[in-house]
Amino acid sequence: MEFDVGYLLQQLPLLRAGLLVTIQVSAMAVVLSLAIGVLGAASRVLRIPLLSQFFVGYVELIRNTPLLVQIFFVFFGLPTIGVVLPIFWCGVLSLTLWAGAFQTENLRGGLAAVSGGLNEASRALGLSRFQYLRLVGLPLAVRITLPSLLNTCVSLVKNSAYVSVIGLQDLSAVAFERIANDFRALEMLSVLLAGYLALVLSLSFSVRVLEHRLQAPFRR
Amino acid sequence: MKRILASVAAVAALWLGAAQAQPMPPLPAAIRDQGVLRAGVRCDQPPYGFRGADGGYAGVEVEMARQMALYAFGSRDKVELQCVTAENRIPQLNARRVDLLIATLGVTPERARVIDFSEPYRWGGSDLLVRRDSPIRVLDDARSRNVIMLRGTTQALWFDANWPGMNTLRLNTISDGLQALLQGRGDALAGDAATLIVIAARDQNLRMVGETFALSDAAVGLRKNEPEWMAWINAALARIKAENLYTGWVEAVVAPDIRQYYLDAFSAPRPHSR
Repeated sequence: MEFDVGYLLQQLPLLRAGLLVTIQVSAMAVVLSLAIGVLGAASRVLRIPLLSQFFVGYVELIRNTPLLVQIFFVFFGLPTIGVVLPIFWCGVLSLTLWAGAFQTENLRGGLAAVSGGLNEASRALGLSRFQYLRLVGLPLAVRITLPSLLNTCVSLVKNSAYVSVIGLQDLSAVAFERIANDFRALEMLSVLLAGYLALVLSLSFSVRVLEHRLQAPFRR
Repeated sequence: MKRILASVAAVAALWLGAAQAQPMPPLPAAIRDQGVLRAGVRCDQPPYGFRGADGGYAGVEVEMARQMALYAFGSRDKVELQCVTAENRIPQLNARRVDLLIATLGVTPERARVIDFSEPYRWGGSDLLVRRDSPIRVLDDARSRNVIMLRGTTQALWFDANWPGMNTLRLNTISDGLQALLQGRGDALAGDAATLIVIAARDQNLRMVGETFALSDAAVGLRKNEPEWMAWINAALARIKAENLYTGWVEAVVAPDIRQYYLDAFSAPRPHSR
């Protein structure tokens, strides 16, 4: 059996639909998980009662359990307590919860790395703790942690392949289903590798552009 | 009395001996040197292949694999069983992880392009499992609804070919499909009737629709162009049938009230359906 380009072209519409689902799920989860990360890191650093403890527990729970189990929990576990989400949102929620924990830790580390003197200086200038966070802490923390934030986003895109187990027809699901029906494993697996590679490389590229712009004030 | 018993025993021994002596073609050298049969079986398809109460492999198709090991190497233990899913079984075979599939494998033209099939050893139909209060009474009722099916199965192919564009939820294992059906994520679960009968008998909240579709033959799957191996497998299947082993295997794992379907599947001629 040799590499059949004609077959690949024939399957292109299906694969494109799958790729679109992968992009939608990942993009949604990237944005939401960053929001969780900011909220979580801020709660931890500002030592907001209850919220801070909640995020400690959340991060430990997510970091120390397999993503696959989390996905099944959202899909099969939540309905038993009355929460029935559509499949697409099951995928978004589980990926968001997973990446949110890592983004919380990334940003918390970034905030911790911002020099303590800056915090004291902000206080001396009369800035509130939230103003410090918004105007000084986070802008610097984001610049420091950009590589690890990107790293988590990359993992998120790659891990989005797991959502095919709950029936979401993403790129992996489409490709594996074609393999199951047409048995052209070489073509489909090549498409998978190329597809995810292209997605992740373009993500890395845009973050590099962003990093370049964010660093502009610090360059001479 | 003693003499009668002795002669009965002698006749029985002769008859058994004759069955034993049924000539088998030679085992291919590669398999013989391996010293063990590597068979792909299902782990989620009772009564054909599933995990028994002790967590070990059980089911009619598992017994077939063990029996073939007995024919080949003189011991039912000379078999290395491997769990395969509907989706990964043919890739597993072609990647040489197993040497034969006895894995509820239906004979289809698409599959025949990439693997070879033995003589069929039974037939199998498809059906729909629905919740007891479901309005679905016949197959056509499911057309405008959301049907759960497993990727890469005969049913998925049938729906793709006959009702393209219908609403489906595609999962990987029957247990995922069942869970999704019970939670209302779909209106019906399409699957092998043989499997669904067991589930419906166990769960009062579910029933079968009872209209058979996508009827197919199940056969042993081998890699393309292994004629010597194929001849051996076909001889082994014929011998299992001649020794009437299927009945005992079915009775061992199927409750009496639903047993007839499976006995028919292995021995009665194939019915008609769409």
